[in-house]
Amino acid sequence: MIIATGIRSAAAAALKRRLRYSIFSIWLLLLFPACLFSAERLTVGVAANFILPFKELSLTFKQQYSIPVDATFTSSGNIYGQIINCAPYDLFLSADEERPDKLFQNGFVEKPFVYARSRVVLWGLNKEMCRAVDWKEALMLPSLKKISIANPQTAPYGSASVAALQTAGLWPIVENRLVFAQTVAQAFQYAHIGTVAAGFCAYSSALSEEGQNGCYFLIDQAPDIIQAACILKATRSRKAVRAFAAFLISPEAERIKREYGYQ
Amino acid sequence: MVINEVDWTPLFVSGKLSIATTVILLVLAAPLAYFLAFSRFRAKFLCSAVINLPLVLPPTVLGFYLLIVMKPEGFVGAVWGWFSNTSLLFSFPGIIFASLIYSLPFAVTPMQTAFAKIDIRHIESAKVLGLSSTAIFFRVILPNSFNGIFASGILVFVHTLGEFGVILMVGGSIPGKTKVSSIAIYEAVEALRYNEAGLMSLVLALICYMVLIMVNLLSNKNRYGT
Repeated sequence: MIIATGIRSAAAAALKRRLRYSIFSIWLLLLFPACLFSAERLTVGVAANFILPFKELSLTFKQQYSIPVDATFTSSGNIYGQIINCAPYDLFLSADEERPDKLFQNGFVEKPFVYARSRVVLWGLNKEMCRAVDWKEALMLPSLKKISIANPQTAPYGSASVAALQTAGLWPIVENRLVFAQTVAQAFQYAHIGTVAAGFCAYSSALSEEGQNGCYFLIDQAPDIIQAACILKATRSRKAVRAFAAFLISPEAERIKREYGYQ
Repeated sequence: MVINEVDWTPLFVSGKLSIATTVILLVLAAPLAYFLAFSRFRAKFLCSAVINLPLVLPPTVLGFYLLIVMKPEGFVGAVWGWFSNTSLLFSFPGIIFASLIYSLPFAVTPMQTAFAKIDIRHIESAKVLGLSSTAIFFRVILPNSFNGIFASGILVFVHTLGEFGVILMVGGSIPGKTKVSSIAIYEAVEALRYNEAGLMSLVLALICYMVLIMVNLLSNKNRYGT
């Protein structure tokens, strides 16, 4: 009885394997260029505020470990949604603690760790704004007709900005002037290109080469942005991703992160 | 300083996706177009509307529905998972599937028009001479609608090359796998890498321009078919 079931399931497995092989060989043709470089590499979902330091971090890591790191930059909420739907990331660098914690509770990821802390700033090119004393005074100016902010539902920087506006009682004054961007990087892009007068951006954007053309105000009412990362349980390169996670909090990485305004 | 070199991988992904979609879709669309052109089925207009739906649906609506069926628990996702043990969402096969649906009307309509334009007497004489309907399809209809098939191929290719919303929703933006050039351009603009966005946009614009020139040249040269 047991033997018979064994044989039958073996036959079924063989059939399944054959089907798999035939499908595989069809894709092989289509995937040909990718196959040439199928050596180990990591795919990381990265919150958009972390674009600049991440580029340098992944480059340094590649030089030391010769493992290339690919990244998808979008809002934390977006990556969160993708991970729930089995997106093939090895590591998730969020812009908050909430989303990695939720993923951890639901068993998608290993225990999260904090890799960076940052602040929200109000950044703009507007000269009048730059003469203001603080961000609250700046927002009162009628010349700030449009102000960009990251979508508070998916971007932690956006929700921190909204929290600060509500604490300061400024929400009713700016509500009608807000332009919602998909990510905090896009909020900065809108302000940088001049389609909006100012934007709620990441501190690292204000420190960047482009950011130095304008001025910024730290938003002290906004909660500190504590950014947590987590390794996905579904990763296929556990050793490499552990190495990268360890590298992210190494003294060398700390130096790079500080350069871009992270603690 | 961060190195500012242009990464051309998204363009290769786009090219691969467009070629795969065009080849698969031409094969899939031919019988559909044949059905729409010649069938006397009463509810044909309903089928035609379903096939043309992706033309008028907002890409986000299509993307949302695809997301639902392509989930590991979804109908298509489950079948795929059984075969390959991988997730269809956020994978290259996944965005091919999405492109097939999204570009279906662009493949079917020109072919259907070309089929319908064929002189019915050709088909009837073939029938009288004893050809089976399969043989009629391959030896009378296909050779007589070269231009329509060619137009389908070009439309599907260019349309897939420029796809954005649907692929972003079901593909994410995984570098080397589902990050196509239109998404790469969007992200480059977001990250203020205007050089990269400009260069890649230029290449895409040139490809589209050359395709159109090629269409014009060929349609002037080959006036056979209809």
